[in-house]
Amino acid sequence: MIQFQNVSKKFGARLAVDDLSLNVPAGQIYGLLGHNGAGKSTAIGMMLGQVWPTCGTVRIRGHDVSERRRLALQKVGAIFETPAFYDYLSGWRNLEIFSSYTAPTPPRRLEETLEWVGLKGREHSKVRTYSHGMRTRLALAQALLPQPELLILDEPGDGLDPEGIAELRETILRLHREMGLTILLSSHLLTEVEQLCTRIAVLNQGRMVFEGSLAETKRREKWIRLRTDDFVLAARDLLAARLITGQQEGLLLALGEGVGTDQIVKFLVEQGRAVYEIACAEETLEQFYLNLMSGGQPSRRKT
Amino acid sequence: MLYHHLRNELWKLFGKKRTYLGFGAFLLAQVAMLLVFRLSHWQNQMERMLGGNGYEARDYISALTVAVVMLIPQVALLMPLYTALVGGDLVAKESEDGTLRMILSRPVSRFQLLFVKWLAGVVFCAVLVLVLGGTALGFARLWFPWRGMFVFAPGMVFNVLTATEGFKFYLISQVFMTLNASVVLGLSFMCSCFNMKPATATVLALTFLFMNLVMEGLPFFKDYQPWLLTHYFRAWILIYEHPTPWDVIGQSLCVLLAFNLTTFLAGAAAFQVRDIKS
Repeated sequence: MIQFQNVSKKFGARLAVDDLSLNVPAGQIYGLLGHNGAGKSTAIGMMLGQVWPTCGTVRIRGHDVSERRRLALQKVGAIFETPAFYDYLSGWRNLEIFSSYTAPTPPRRLEETLEWVGLKGREHSKVRTYSHGMRTRLALAQALLPQPELLILDEPGDGLDPEGIAELRETILRLHREMGLTILLSSHLLTEVEQLCTRIAVLNQGRMVFEGSLAETKRREKWIRLRTDDFVLAARDLLAARLITGQQEGLLLALGEGVGTDQIVKFLVEQGRAVYEIACAEETLEQFYLNLMSGGQPSRRKT
Repeated sequence: MLYHHLRNELWKLFGKKRTYLGFGAFLLAQVAMLLVFRLSHWQNQMERMLGGNGYEARDYISALTVAVVMLIPQVALLMPLYTALVGGDLVAKESEDGTLRMILSRPVSRFQLLFVKWLAGVVFCAVLVLVLGGTALGFARLWFPWRGMFVFAPGMVFNVLTATEGFKFYLISQVFMTLNASVVLGLSFMCSCFNMKPATATVLALTFLFMNLVMEGLPFFKDYQPWLLTHYFRAWILIYEHPTPWDVIGQSLCVLLAFNLTTFLAGAAAFQVRDIKS
């Protein structure tokens, strides 16, 4: 659905995006992570033909955005961090305006979309009277009007209260479930990404430092979580038996080369220790992300 | 599609209060000038001028005459100000507000978007001039009779016309004024296509115009007048001259149209290569 091939973007001397190659398959909820200035918005700008790449090619639905922008964006909807509207016009008129840049939209379709996003009844009020949540819903309505196949969400949860964020999360899942949309979500909110996305890419200083499924970010290779009657003693014995190479946080063990969890359990039971729980350790996305940003090795890296 | 896009631009343009500043200013200026005409001895000088040239003053102190007298300072001062203000807003304000980014996430070409914006600007100019001309004549008619027309602009026009002839030229002059307004709008529109604030675009355009105007008035620049833009803004008043200097008017129109096209293309080129970011 979205393809970046060796894309770079320079603003003056500053390299905002550095040799980015990325492939977002259709049907995914794809997360784009990174700190402020990591290059997420620039990448989204290049997807939408708002920012011209210095080199490389960006394709949406198989069409080069720089050369065939009209075709590339025909079935694309986008929402930005701060939805901007003509505040002095009504919500309805705003929708008429924005949708007509794709194709004139019949009033019936406008009504259906307004109903879907829950703005029915307020469509003829001026946008300046809308709350932040209502503006977000209006932004969603304008993005859905062209009946998109791809929805690009650039920090959509910014400025929303916890209820608004939960509502947005539910809406995104609904869009994916009911309409089968491919969704690209750029966000700072790691918990949101963790709950929504099936696959993520992490950008740091314009470079992609990780690309993979969310499951991969949770896997801590060689680390297991152990709950026993005495973790410290058990770890000391396992270390002496060279079955583990280290321990962490009074809970985690690093397995030795070629050692399986069955050997650990067998050893502990033979030692007379009670084993309550043993499992592969999972990392939260936040731990994974912070580790990645502090220069730790990612589980999998694609560049 | 063009119709829908133009309709959008007109909704946006005429939906905001800022657009009506010019109309309000014109109305206030006209009422103030009319009161001065009515309550002062302004007519004496005109009567002397007409009498000195063998004309009966009372035949020519009319609504049409007063309307043109009211238009001269407004066209020179107020019209550039308000058209530049609107022109500077057309792209830069949308960029500043973030709506431009919303539009450009749609499959619309930048050139097409700019073209309809510019077209909407020209419609605004036409409406502004029509309202300006209409209200000037309407207000003047409240207190002055519908008679022959006398037009005097130092160094350019001294002529008397019948009411019918005068009204015909008054209508034609509205077209030329619209062109003048569209040139000013085009200039600030071009500036607003670059990455700058709306106010900066407006101020840059006005600076260019006033520099031209000042230089045109300085004897030192007399030989360079054909190089100054404001020199070609005279067509609307020259139309009243007898015989009508069609060659000068034609030249002015060609220069203004070419200038309009140049500013549009320069703005479009700058806008095309620009990165639109939040």
